[in-house]
Amino acid sequence: MTKKLAIVLAITLAACGIPRDPEGTLARVSGGVMRVGVTEAPPWIELGDASPDGIEVRLVERFAEQIDAEIEWAEGSEEEIFSALKVRELDLVIAGLTAETPWSSEASITHPYLTTAALVAVPDDTDEPEDIAELEVGVEANTEIAGLLRKTDAHVVEVDDIEDYEGPVAIDNFLTDDLDVVDTGVRLGESDHVFAVPIGENDWMTAVERFLLERPGEIEDLLDELGGP
Amino acid sequence: MRTTRAFELPPDKAKANQRAIRLEWITIGYLVSAIFFIYITLGASQAMKAAWIEDILSLVPPISFLVASRVRHRPPSERYPFGLHRAVSVGYLCASLALAAMGLFILYDSVSKLAAFEHAPIGLVQPWGEPIWLGWFMIPALVYSAVPAVVLGRVKLPLARELHDKVLYADAKMNKADWLTAVAAMVGVIGIGLGLWWLDSLAAILISLDITHDGIKNLRTATADLMDERPTLIDSSALDPLPQRLRTELRSLDWVRDAAVRVREEGHVFFADIQVVPTSTEDLTSRLATVARRLMDLDWRLHDVVIMPAEKVEEERRADPARPDARTSS
Repeated sequence: MTKKLAIVLAITLAACGIPRDPEGTLARVSGGVMRVGVTEAPPWIELGDASPDGIEVRLVERFAEQIDAEIEWAEGSEEEIFSALKVRELDLVIAGLTAETPWSSEASITHPYLTTAALVAVPDDTDEPEDIAELEVGVEANTEIAGLLRKTDAHVVEVDDIEDYEGPVAIDNFLTDDLDVVDTGVRLGESDHVFAVPIGENDWMTAVERFLLERPGEIEDLLDELGGP
Repeated sequence: MRTTRAFELPPDKAKANQRAIRLEWITIGYLVSAIFFIYITLGASQAMKAAWIEDILSLVPPISFLVASRVRHRPPSERYPFGLHRAVSVGYLCASLALAAMGLFILYDSVSKLAAFEHAPIGLVQPWGEPIWLGWFMIPALVYSAVPAVVLGRVKLPLARELHDKVLYADAKMNKADWLTAVAAMVGVIGIGLGLWWLDSLAAILISLDITHDGIKNLRTATADLMDERPTLIDSSALDPLPQRLRTELRSLDWVRDAAVRVREEGHVFFADIQVVPTSTEDLTSRLATVARRLMDLDWRLHDVVIMPAEKVEEERRADPARPDARTSS
């Protein structure tokens, strides 16, 4: 009852155009130009010689199509793109960000559109181990997952390329199929993936959020297609 | 060592006190739920944050009241010969200090946010899979934090007067004024919704001013109590007429030539020091004992009376010029 009421109320009130943007970003971008800051963050963003590609890049392209906007990509370091976002020279920043991003005081962080997990997996032709104590687990050197793995009682084996390693590995959950490994159920950490928009442009932010939240299937497909090692 | 007698409320007051205790427990339970609801809808709104902190702070008076209502029934001891009535005043002082300090902090926080042109981001939530703007949940949470509070405040106010309890009075007043906070916060949230980002900080500033004002007002009353101010009416609007009544009563006795009275408040009870100039010393001790009992019956709040015979009463002070509202002193 309250649920229905809340939904009806929200739809009615959303029709009155609440929330609105203090600076009218959604109105300007719709049918106009969307300025998007990007930085290298595979598989989310991959900057090639041509235009950028990646899971988040494709999502932004589809969103732009939906609101009939033309995308202007701005490549730079995180520092550069977030500084530009803060002074509203950009409308959107994608950088493989998670909800824990330290940039959250400079930008509005959207509702997470996807949660991924760092986990320990074993080759699908071996038996699942009882636990990971003293187990030799391969992990890509100098990564966050390597640090998370070191906190466990597993034996850390650092490798340059995880694809070349045979045996149990610590990886992101979307890589299990590509590496022919199965999840052991051991979680090292979770990441909630988000976009960033200028602070307080709430109509614009909710438009981005709504677009992302309405597409869980599409996001999964993109992850399968582009989420390789 | 001489100790004060243990304090007991007269039967009708004891009943009112029981009711007040029950109401304060209800207040605490309700406030905890309101704090929870506001917390889950808090978002990034400064006005919501201010309203939330005010709700948390309004837990302090009911807790002080409940603690005090236990402590004050403890009989005086060797170590605390006057009893533990001042525990109420100490709790009251701490509560008002916290209120004033927190009010000033939120004021500073909100003014600097306004000055920095900081906008509040409020996005979507998905409580039932349906994305809904979080702002819409803030308004019912605020309504819930205000309506029962106002009702509780209205019920507690007459009890506070009846029990002459300043903590309960401050608490009732705060509850009763809570709708102002809720309305201000709602204006802030709707402001964010309409793209008027500055309304949020502005509403927070108003709420913080209200908190600070409450804090300073109560701080003044609490300090005055601890400074042994003459008893005042519960809203501090005027001096309590009791000392005058005591003096008139004493002077009406044929063996009393003159009398001077000073009364101080300890928590919710009064202690009186009295000087009398007797016409003769005949039967003096039994007369003093009789009159002490008689004075104690004048008012239930009068808890302890010390009467000293004197050759002449000490020079009277004029009404304190800082208190133009003071009635004639006795």
